[in-house]
Amino acid sequence: MVLETLKKLFTPVEALDADQARAYIAEHKEGSFTLLDVRQPGEYEQAHIPGAKLIPIAQLPNRMEELDPDKPVIAY
Amino acid sequence: MGWNGLKAEGPVELNLDMVRGDETPAEIIQLAYGMEQSLGFFYRTVRTRTQDNELARLLEMLITVEDKHKQYLLELYKSLEPSGISPENFEADVSSKVMEGGFDSDEFIKQNEKFLNDVPSLLDLSMMLETQALDLYLRFADKSENQQTKDVLHRIGDEEKGHLAALGALRDKKS
Repeated sequence: MVLETLKKLFTPVEALDADQARAYIAEHKEGSFTLLDVRQPGEYEQAHIPGAKLIPIAQLPNRMEELDPDKPVIAY
Repeated sequence: MGWNGLKAEGPVELNLDMVRGDETPAEIIQLAYGMEQSLGFFYRTVRTRTQDNELARLLEMLITVEDKHKQYLLELYKSLEPSGISPENFEADVSSKVMEGGFDSDEFIKQNEKFLNDVPSLLDLSMMLETQALDLYLRFADKSENQQTKDVLHRIGDEEKGHLAALGALRDKKS
C-alpha cells in the first residue's frame, strides 16, 4: 500500500531548476500542487518557499499520507 | 537553498495559533479581511508622516491595493453567504490589530522605522510582508480541516501571488 502511494507520488520524476520551479509556481493555482520541503526544520525556519510543507526526509516514509497522490509534488 | 524566488521565514507553527483548523470559509475571510485592513492602516499611518512625493505615491498605490483586496474578500464572502450579514456588520466583526503575515501593526512600525523612508526599502518591506502573508495563508490552508476553507485560502493565496508579482516588477524597475 505504501509502495503504491509512493509510486503514484513520485512517478514520473522530473528535475526542475530554480527558474522552472519558480515559473511553475507562478503559473499554477495554489492548491493544485504540493511544495514539499524535505530539509531540516532549522533550514526551513531560516528560509523556505512560501506555502512549502515541511516533512524532513527521514520522516517522509511515515508521513506519506499527508501528501495528496493526485497532485504534482515539487520537492526540494 | 539555491532558490532565486520569494522566501518566507519562521517555523511551521509561526502564527498558526491564530486559527483552530475548523473555521468556516466565512470566518477565515473575516480573519483575512482584518489583516488586510490592518496592513492598510499601517500604510496610511506611514503616508501621513512622509513628505517625499515618490514615497507618498507608492504608499497611496499600496493603500489602493489593500482596499482592492478587501473588496475582493467582501465579494468572496457575499458569494459564499448571500443572505449573510451586511458589509457594515461584517466590518464591525473584524479584528484588525494583526496585519497580514501575523505582525502586530504598532510593534511593526516601531521595529521597521529605517525601512519607511525611501521607495526601494519600502518596496522590500512590502514584499517581505506579502510573502509572509502568502506563506501564512497557505499554512492556514494546510491546517484547515474544511475543504471549502482550504479552497478559499488558496484563492486568497493566488491573489497575494499576483500582488507580489506586481510589487516584484516595480522593485526591479527601482534597482
